[in-house]
Amino acid sequence: MSDSSHPLVVACDVSKSVVGPEGALDILRGVNLQILPGESFAIVGASGSGKTTLLGLLAGLDTSSSGSIHLDGHALESLDEEARADLRRRLVGFVFQSFHLLPALTAEENVMLPLELEGASDARSRARQALDAVGLTSRRRHYPAQLSGGEQQRVAIARAFVHGPRVLFADEPTGNLDQRTGHHICDLLFALNRDHHTTLVLVTHDAELAARCDRRIELEEGRVVAAGAHS
Amino acid sequence: MRMLWLALRSLRREWHLPELRTLAASLVLAVVALGVVATLAARIERGMLAGAAELIGGDIGVSSPQALPDNYADAARHRGLQIAHSASFPSVAFAGDQTQLLDVLAAGPRYPLRGTLQLGDAAGRSHIGQAPAPGQVYLDHRALVALNLKVGQPLQLGGRELTIAAELQRQPDGGQLLALAPRALMNLADARQAGLLDPGSRARHRLLLAGEPSAVDAWRQQVQASALPQGAQLITPEQTQERMRTSFDRAGAFLRLTALLSALLAGIAIALSAQRYARRKTAEVALLRALGTPRRQVMGLLLGTLGALAIPATALGAALALGLSQLAWLFASTLFGSAPTSLPLAPSFAAAAMGLAVLAGFALPPLARLAEVPPVAVFRQSATRKTRRFDALYLIPVLVALGLIWAQSQSLTLAGILAASLLGVAVVAALLAALMLWLARRVAPGAHPGLRLGLAALARRRTLSLIQATALSLGMCALLLLAIVAPALLQGWRQELPPDTPNWFAMNLQDDQREGFAQALEKIGGEKLNMMPLAVGKLTTINGQPIDQVHFEDERADDRADRQLRLSWADALPPSNQVIAGQWPGPHPAQAEVSVDTTWRDMFALKLGDTLRFDIGEGSIDAKITSIRKVDWSSFRVNFFLMLDPAHAGNLPHTWLASFYLPPGHADGLAQLSRDYGNLSLIDVDSLLDRVREIVDRVGNAVRWILGFSLLAGALVLAAALAASAAERQHEAALLRTLGARRAQLRVAAACEFALLGLIAGLTAALGAAGAGWWLGRAVFHIEHFMPPLVPLTLAAIAAALVVMALGLVGTRKVSRTPPMRLLREG
Ligand SMILES: Nc1ncnc2c1ncn2[C@@H]1O[C@H](COP(=O)(O)OP(=O)(O)OP(=O)(O)O)[C@@H](O)[C@H]1O
Ligand SMILES: [Mg+2]
Repeated sequence: MSDSSHPLVVACDVSKSVVGPEGALDILRGVNLQILPGESFAIVGASGSGKTTLLGLLAGLDTSSSGSIHLDGHALESLDEEARADLRRRLVGFVFQSFHLLPALTAEENVMLPLELEGASDARSRARQALDAVGLTSRRRHYPAQLSGGEQQRVAIARAFVHGPRVLFADEPTGNLDQRTGHHICDLLFALNRDHHTTLVLVTHDAELAARCDRRIELEEGRVVAAGAHS
Repeated sequence: MRMLWLALRSLRREWHLPELRTLAASLVLAVVALGVVATLAARIERGMLAGAAELIGGDIGVSSPQALPDNYADAARHRGLQIAHSASFPSVAFAGDQTQLLDVLAAGPRYPLRGTLQLGDAAGRSHIGQAPAPGQVYLDHRALVALNLKVGQPLQLGGRELTIAAELQRQPDGGQLLALAPRALMNLADARQAGLLDPGSRARHRLLLAGEPSAVDAWRQQVQASALPQGAQLITPEQTQERMRTSFDRAGAFLRLTALLSALLAGIAIALSAQRYARRKTAEVALLRALGTPRRQVMGLLLGTLGALAIPATALGAALALGLSQLAWLFASTLFGSAPTSLPLAPSFAAAAMGLAVLAGFALPPLARLAEVPPVAVFRQSATRKTRRFDALYLIPVLVALGLIWAQSQSLTLAGILAASLLGVAVVAALLAALMLWLARRVAPGAHPGLRLGLAALARRRTLSLIQATALSLGMCALLLLAIVAPALLQGWRQELPPDTPNWFAMNLQDDQREGFAQALEKIGGEKLNMMPLAVGKLTTINGQPIDQVHFEDERADDRADRQLRLSWADALPPSNQVIAGQWPGPHPAQAEVSVDTTWRDMFALKLGDTLRFDIGEGSIDAKITSIRKVDWSSFRVNFFLMLDPAHAGNLPHTWLASFYLPPGHADGLAQLSRDYGNLSLIDVDSLLDRVREIVDRVGNAVRWILGFSLLAGALVLAAALAASAAERQHEAALLRTLGARRAQLRVAAACEFALLGLIAGLTAALGAAGAGWWLGRAVFHIEHFMPPLVPLTLAAIAAALVVMALGLVGTRKVSRTPPMRLLREG
C-alpha cells in the first residue's frame, strides 16, 4: 500500500454534523480530497470553517457522519476506535498549536512516548536522535516548563516523527509562536517532508506557510471552496 | 443575605465536582471518627462516675489481705453505720468433669449496702436479691456456661458442695472494671469454714460501710488518724473512679489516637480537594476580579460556598457519630458492665467543631491564595502560579493538627510525643514509599510497557503519589498491627513456652500438707511439681531509712512500697533467672542476703550492698543485696522480685506455692484434691490465658471497626488525589490516545499505577507493622525469636494492592474513554 502513485489520504464526500442544543449543525458538507505520499498539503479557511474538524477526521481521531475516508488504504469508517488507534500509532504523527507536551516528563521522555506505546526497546536512543535532528541535543533533560514555546514545539515535532510516521498532521503549528520562530518551525517541518518523504497535512491561517505547501484547499462553512496547487 | 444566596447557588452548580464531594466526605468522616470515640469515652466515664458508690457496694470501705481487727467494725457500729463483711479470692469450681477458675466473692448477710444485687431464677426472670444463704452460691452467666450448669444444680467450690440458687446478673464489685474470670458469689460463713480465708490465703477481706455522710466522714477521719494494718487500703469512691479511669485511659488513648489519625488523614484529603477546587476556580476568580468584584466579596463567596457545604456535612457527621456510638455501646457495654447511662451529646458537638477546625485549617490556605488572584490573570494564567518558597499560610494546618493532638491527648508533653511520633511514622512511611518508588523506577526499563507507563504516571505526580502512599500506609499499618501482629504476638508468646510448662498453680499449701499433696498429685497424673516457699511482708527501710521518708523518682515505687510483697528463697538460682551483678548466695552466708530483680533495682534505685528491712509476720529481717537478677517474666514459671537466702529465711512464717503440669483431661482428680485440701487456691493458667485472649479479642473487635475509619480516611485521600489529578489524567489520556495508545494499554497502565501505589502503601504498612511487632515482641513480650507473621502481612500488602487498584480503576474509569479529539479542541 505504500506505492507512491496511490494517494495516502482519500476523502470521499465527507460530511460531519453534530446535534447541539439548537438542533443539528452541519460542520462539514461533502468534502472530497486526495493527498499523495510525500506531498505537503495545506487546509486554510476562516475561523469556524471546519478545518480542525476535517483534520481530526483525516487523522482518524473522529468519525465522519457520512462519506468515507481512506488512510493508507484503510477505510476509517469501518474501523472501531481501537483499530484506528493502532493505525495512528503506526502511520501518523501530530503537531498541535499548543504543543501538548506532558509537563512532568522531560523532553526526551516526551519524545519517547510513541515508541513506548509500540513497546520499542531502543526508545531512548531513537528519541535522542530525534532531538538531535531538531537541534535540542543539549535540552534533553529539561522539562517543558523550562523550554520556550519554540523549543517546546520542536520537541513536539521530534515526538511527531520519532517513530517514522508516513503522514504528519499539524493544526496551526505556528499559531502560538512569533513570526521568526514560526518560520523556523516551518523550515523544520518542510525539511522532514523533503528528507523523509513524510506527507505533511497542515491547517493554518498563515498565508506564507500555506504558500509553501505543494497543494492547498480552502474551506468555507464546511465546504471546499477553492483548491489549488503550486508548481 | 444576598451573599448566602449566591453561595448556595454556586454550591448547587458545583456540587457535581468530585473535589467538593471528597471534601464533604472527608469532613463527615473526621467528625464521625472524633465524635464516636469521644462519645464512647464520655459515656464510659459518666457511667463510672455515676455508679462509683454503687459499684463499691457501700459508701466507704477497707480492704485487707488479713481479716481486719474488730475495732474497725466496732467504731462504725458505734457511729450508727451499717456494716457488711466480704472477701474475694480466685478459686476453681468443679462440676462433673468440668473445671473453671472463678472470681469468688464471699459475702455476709447485709451485702450489698449500696447498689443492688440483681439475680435471675431458673426460668430466667430477674429480681433483686441478697447475699446467698449458707450452702448456696450464685454464678454469673459465663460461669454457668463454662461449667455447663443450670440454676438449681450442685457444684464443688472450695471443697464443699453448694447449690446454685440463682444466676448472678449484676453485682456491686468494688470497682473491678474487667473481671478476668467468671464470677461466683457465696456465703461468707461457708468460705470461712472451708478454710478459704485462712491466713496466707489469697483472699482479700473487705469491710464496707454505709450511712449518714457525716458519720462516714467521721469514721474515715478516725481510721486515717492511725496507720492501717499492713497491706490494708481504704476503698473510696474517688479511688475507684481513679482506678477505673486509668485502666480505661489506656484503651481510650489508643482509640483517640486512631480517631486523630483518621481526622488528620481526612485533613490531608480536604487539603488536596481544596487545592484542586482553588485551581479550578482560578480563572473564574480572575474574571470576577477583572470585572471589578472586590476581593472581600470574592472571599465572601468562597467562604460562603465552603460554609454551605460544611454545615450540613458536620451535622451529618455528628448525627452519624451519635448513631454509631449508640450501636457500639450496645456491643461494648457488656465489657464495661456498668450502670446504664444516657447518650452524651456534647462530645459530638465538640467533634463537629473540631471538624470545622480541620476544614478551616486544611482548606483555607489554598482558598485564601485564591482571593489574591490578580485581575491580570485573565490574560496570563501563569500570573497566578507564583511559587513561594515559604508560605506562612501553610503553618495553619500544622497549628490545627497540633491543636487537635493537644485536645485529644489533654497533656502538652503527651501531645508533643504524639505529634513527634506521628510525624516520625509519616516521615518513615514517606521515605519507605519514596525508596520503593525509586527501586521500581530502577527496574522499569526492562518491564512491561503498561507497567512502565504506570510507573511513569506515579513518578510524574511524585508528591501526590507519596502523599497517597503515606496516608494509605498509615491507615493500613494501624489495622495490620491490631488484626495480624497482635494475635501473632499472643500466640508466639504462648508457643515459646515448653509444652510441659506448669499449667496449674496451687497457693496456700501448709508445711505439713506438702508431702501428702505431692503424693496425691502424682496419683492423679500431675507432673513437674515444684514448690516454692512464700512469705508475705512489707518493705520498711532501705539502708536504715524508713521508705515513707524516701523520695523515689519512679512513680511506681510509692505504690509498690505500700503493698504486700511476696518473698521466696531457694538453694539454686531458679530457671529463667540470670544473675547480672553480684553473686547468688552461698549455702551459709554470714548475714541475711537478698537478690533483687532488675525491675526493683530500677524502681527503688537499689544497688549491690544496700540493706533492706522486711517486716514479715510478727518479726522482721534485714537483708543485704548481694545479687541482681534478670528475670524472664513471660516464662510462666513462678518467679519473684525478691529472693532471700534459705539459711536465714527458712524460719520466717510462710506457706508454699506449688506449680505443676496436669495433662488435659485429668481435672476430675483435681476436684478430689481440692476437696481434700480445702484451704488451697487452685489457679488454672490455661484458662487464665484463655481469658486474657478473650478480652484482647473482644477489645480488639470493639476497636477494629474504629480503625476502619483511618482506613477509610486513607481511601478518601486517594479519592481526593484522583480528583486533584483528574484533569491532568484526562489530558494525558487524550494525548496518549492521539498517539495511538489502545484503551487496554491505558487501562493496564492505570491498573499498574494503582496496584503499584497500593503495593507500596501495603508493603510500607506491612513493614511498619512487622517492625512494630518485632519491637513489641522483644521489648514487651520478651519473645526471643519472634518472627512477625510475614506471609499474612505480605498477603495483606497484596490485598492492599488489589483494593487500591480496584478503587483507582473505578475512580479513573472515565479517563480511558476520553475522546482523542479533545486534544485538538483544547488550548
Ligand atoms: N462537538 C461539537 N459540537 C458542536 N459544535 C461543534 C463541535 N465541534 C465543532 N463544532 C463547531 O464546528 C465549527 C467548526 O469548528 P472547527 O474547530 O473545525 O473550526 P476551525 O476551522 O478549526 O476554526 P479555528 O480556525 O477557529 O480553529 C465551529 O462552528 C464549531 O463551533
Ligand atoms: Mg481549529
